[in-house]
Amino acid sequence: MNDAALLAAPLFWLTVTLGVFEFFDTASKRSGRHPLCHPVLWSTPVLIGVLLATGTPYTAYKAATMPLSFLLGPAVVGLAVPIWAERVRIRRLAVPISLALLAGAVTSIVSAVGILALFGAPREILASIAPRATTTPVAMAVAGHLGGIPALAAVIVLFAGVVGAMIATPLLNALGLRDYRARGFAIGVAAHGIGAARAFQVDATAGALASLGMALNAVVTAALLSIAALLL
Amino acid sequence: MLRAIFLLLACQLAGEAIHRLTGLALPGSVIGMVLLVGWLALVPLERPGLVAVAGWLTAHLAVMFVPAAVGLIDEGAALSAYGIGLVAATIVSTVLTLVVTALVFRWALARFVTEDSA
Repeated sequence: MNDAALLAAPLFWLTVTLGVFEFFDTASKRSGRHPLCHPVLWSTPVLIGVLLATGTPYTAYKAATMPLSFLLGPAVVGLAVPIWAERVRIRRLAVPISLALLAGAVTSIVSAVGILALFGAPREILASIAPRATTTPVAMAVAGHLGGIPALAAVIVLFAGVVGAMIATPLLNALGLRDYRARGFAIGVAAHGIGAARAFQVDATAGALASLGMALNAVVTAALLSIAALLL
Repeated sequence: MLRAIFLLLACQLAGEAIHRLTGLALPGSVIGMVLLVGWLALVPLERPGLVAVAGWLTAHLAVMFVPAAVGLIDEGAALSAYGIGLVAATIVSTVLTLVVTALVFRWALARFVTEDSA
């Protein structure tokens, strides 16, 4: 294998990607998992810099890192496990969970798409923000199906997670919401895994309901947008 | 362990097949998640392997979407044209979703759930 071929090989780009991510993940741990130190937030621009510096086209990088991206599919399927683990609580809180989930999912889609439409964004951009409350792999898949840009969806979702994790505690305190089930569920629906990680730092019940909110919202938002896509 | 990986892949594969056959916009992996919940309900067993594998995968989700996020390298035009709109829409939507979800949950909890040994 010559030098140029090694630069295009999965071995090279997987090593670089994991190395860069691990570096920022360690920094994130040292910061006590501050949302602004989320490793994806820092790994992405650094890796873009590496691609630019080495003159590597994105298509080559994407092909080389396929083994990593492939894991997203089974990981999403695996979200069934926390849903199943919470089945007793789901049955007991079925009404609040269903109503809050539906209200939250609709609010998220309508407000994100509505505001962005005011800026005159075309359909592919609107389709990229529509699934912004779902967990990243679901948002990328849904955005792709709706004619959006998966990379843009990934970054929007990440940003939404950081925003949600940072404002949830002061915002919900200001509203006088004390119930950790309501608080946790809301942050999971609004800010997926990054929000759930924050919820676990605050309270175990809040964390469990946040994971549940994230997993359920992945299904509900994807279903709502599928229906919307058929109608529009 | 291997059985758990097979179960996850089989659910995803079935989900992809349903996605393609029915033309549902719901992604195959999300359909696979629903199928797996159904399977766990249908065949109630202790599954430490599945809990371990699924737990490992979901704990490392972040690194898996890095390659996709790097795709932003080709989206400079969209970002410079709609960057402010994207930031504004994302912040407002996240705040509204948090507030609406939490308030509806609290209201429905008080209205429909009788707290016994919560």
